[in-house]
Amino acid sequence: MDAIISLNKIQISGPTLASLIQRVSSAAGDVDGLLFGRVSHIAPVTLSDDSSSSAAAATTSDQPNLIATVTSFFSSTSTSTFYSASGQIDTSTLNNLLSTSDDRLIGWFSGRRKTQLRPSMRESSVTSALASSIQFSSQVQNSTETLTFPPCVFLLLTTPFQDQLIHTHEYKAFQFRSSTDSFDPKTLDVVNLGPAFRGHYGNFITPNSPFPDLSFRVKGLNCESMVEDEGEKEKEKFGTFCDEGFKIGRLKNLMGSDAANYTAELEELYNSMIKKLNGLAKMVEQSSAKVLEQENHNMKLRYKVAGFE
Amino acid sequence: MAVDSMPPIVFTQLNYLLTHSPHSIKVEQMWSGSKNPALLDRFTLLIPFCLDYIKWDVIYNAQFPLLAPDIVFGPEDENFRPYHAGGEGDLKPKNSLSDWNCKDPTRLLSLILELRSLYMAYQKKRVGEVDDERLKFEINTIYSREGIEMYMSSGVDKPEEVKLAVPLLEMDLNKMVAGATWRHQQKIYLQVIYPVSRKYLAMASAPRLKLVSSPELKAFFSIDEFRLPSWLDGMCMAEYLPTLEEMLESQIRDAISSIEVRRRFITALAIPFGRPVESDPIFCRKATFLACSGVFTFLVHITLPLQFPRQQPAVMLQSSQHFHSHPGNAPIKSAMLQDYPWSPRWDVAEMAERIFDFLVEECLNFKKYCNEVLVQQR
Repeated sequence: MDAIISLNKIQISGPTLASLIQRVSSAAGDVDGLLFGRVSHIAPVTLSDDSSSSAAAATTSDQPNLIATVTSFFSSTSTSTFYSASGQIDTSTLNNLLSTSDDRLIGWFSGRRKTQLRPSMRESSVTSALASSIQFSSQVQNSTETLTFPPCVFLLLTTPFQDQLIHTHEYKAFQFRSSTDSFDPKTLDVVNLGPAFRGHYGNFITPNSPFPDLSFRVKGLNCESMVEDEGEKEKEKFGTFCDEGFKIGRLKNLMGSDAANYTAELEELYNSMIKKLNGLAKMVEQSSAKVLEQENHNMKLRYKVAGFE
Repeated sequence: MAVDSMPPIVFTQLNYLLTHSPHSIKVEQMWSGSKNPALLDRFTLLIPFCLDYIKWDVIYNAQFPLLAPDIVFGPEDENFRPYHAGGEGDLKPKNSLSDWNCKDPTRLLSLILELRSLYMAYQKKRVGEVDDERLKFEINTIYSREGIEMYMSSGVDKPEEVKLAVPLLEMDLNKMVAGATWRHQQKIYLQVIYPVSRKYLAMASAPRLKLVSSPELKAFFSIDEFRLPSWLDGMCMAEYLPTLEEMLESQIRDAISSIEVRRRFITALAIPFGRPVESDPIFCRKATFLACSGVFTFLVHITLPLQFPRQQPAVMLQSSQHFHSHPGNAPIKSAMLQDYPWSPRWDVAEMAERIFDFLVEECLNFKKYCNEVLVQQR
């Protein structure tokens, strides 16, 4: 039964949380999206110097000690992408969104500026529907028995009512309990770089967020035109460098009599790398400008529909 | 209200709600949730419920004004799930949000009204779950009365109590007062507050009782003057309410007939003073006459108390010729005059005549006062 499993805490890596907050604060309006990650079973630590606390730990160890880890998220540019106005899940859209990702769904998030830090009517319905769906449940990792975990994590992000210089955003994590039909606030553990977390941090899959779901093919994204202003020869040479890799053994040649030749070779490598990076930066700049242009155009169209002008 | 900066589609819905709601819903504040703070897309509604207000935040998305709004309920109502979807494959009942049409201005109002009635049912259910023998008995015995609203108040630092708003009198007050132009239904309620006690007490203490009326009703009937019948030991609501309603009904009939008494008095005033410049034709609480003494011209404002003729009217004079230099060149007015010869046993013609006689003297004092004020201002 999924109802009895209570999460110990919810973890998120610093970069994932930061990019989530960045996503919410850079959006023009409200956004929401899906949270991916995993739920794992952690062996309870019952060893303690203090006998009373170990006794207490023994009583709680009947409950599986579960930790949900948010490793990535997916967000679209608006709200209500995978559910209806009254909060019912649009299963086919959700399946469609999930098919592009290998990650497992563990919940969703909602970002809305200047609102109360508690779930709204629709958020409650959506979370409740997600939490009761067996279809989207995932297996708990490292567990001795087979436990399934429904996507019942809900992360709410908002900003304070008054504009403040220091305190610019607020967030709260919940686990939805279908058995009691209620939101349990959970601590959101931000796993950061640092001595205390080093071992821990390695466990994370590289934090990433997939490219937004685009139903059409982006022209030019896969074309090989990044270094087109360079000659074919240059490109080839760069290719070989990349293929072979610059082996550590060759670095030894930098010392001694032959050093001059190798220095030139190394400089050439750096030069072509910089050129390639410049080309990439230029492309990013151009495509960003196009995206912005398109977004402004879309916004104008939406305002027109809404009756402005 | 900043009309320009709200998406027009949202504004027409809000406007419709404010003008067409059967309850007087108010907007507490409006603000913006988008990156461009000039676009207002969220607001707090104050919705009357159980003689109090519930505050709901309505959240639109200015970037996508065609989408249906979302609502954040109050902090005490986190468990209020009006449209609980239930498990997969369940029959999804239709509700105001399921086929949202942003072009229809009536939708927001019907959504709020639907949620309010669901909230009423939710509170009723919560009250029904309270384990209190006496409360169960009281609610069962007055269950047949229609329109009772209940509210279960509980919180960390609040005592647990159940509030009831019992609508009294079946008569339609809006129709009883001739010519009344009230937009909302006028009603008198008895507020009953029961402290929740978990154990059975043979002699339960009296609940806290208070009479509440819709605010516009004060123009002709003051509930503050009404003395509630006393609550006897071991009494219950079903016994108490009929007595209360009987008393209330007779007093309201008196209040309605006293409108007629006031009307006759204002008509009588027209004999010495001439036709009133302005008067309140519905409740007959106010009349203003133009009068002069020699060349000194002034207005006479007469305010009639609800206890008229037991209590005499208040008279105030306002000069048409003397003005304060500041602020705003307001005309000079006298103090409220309430101490002049009066007897409730006089007939209305004599009352009017006596006021006129009194003012013949008093207006000279007022003229002197006006001149003094002008001298001081120089």
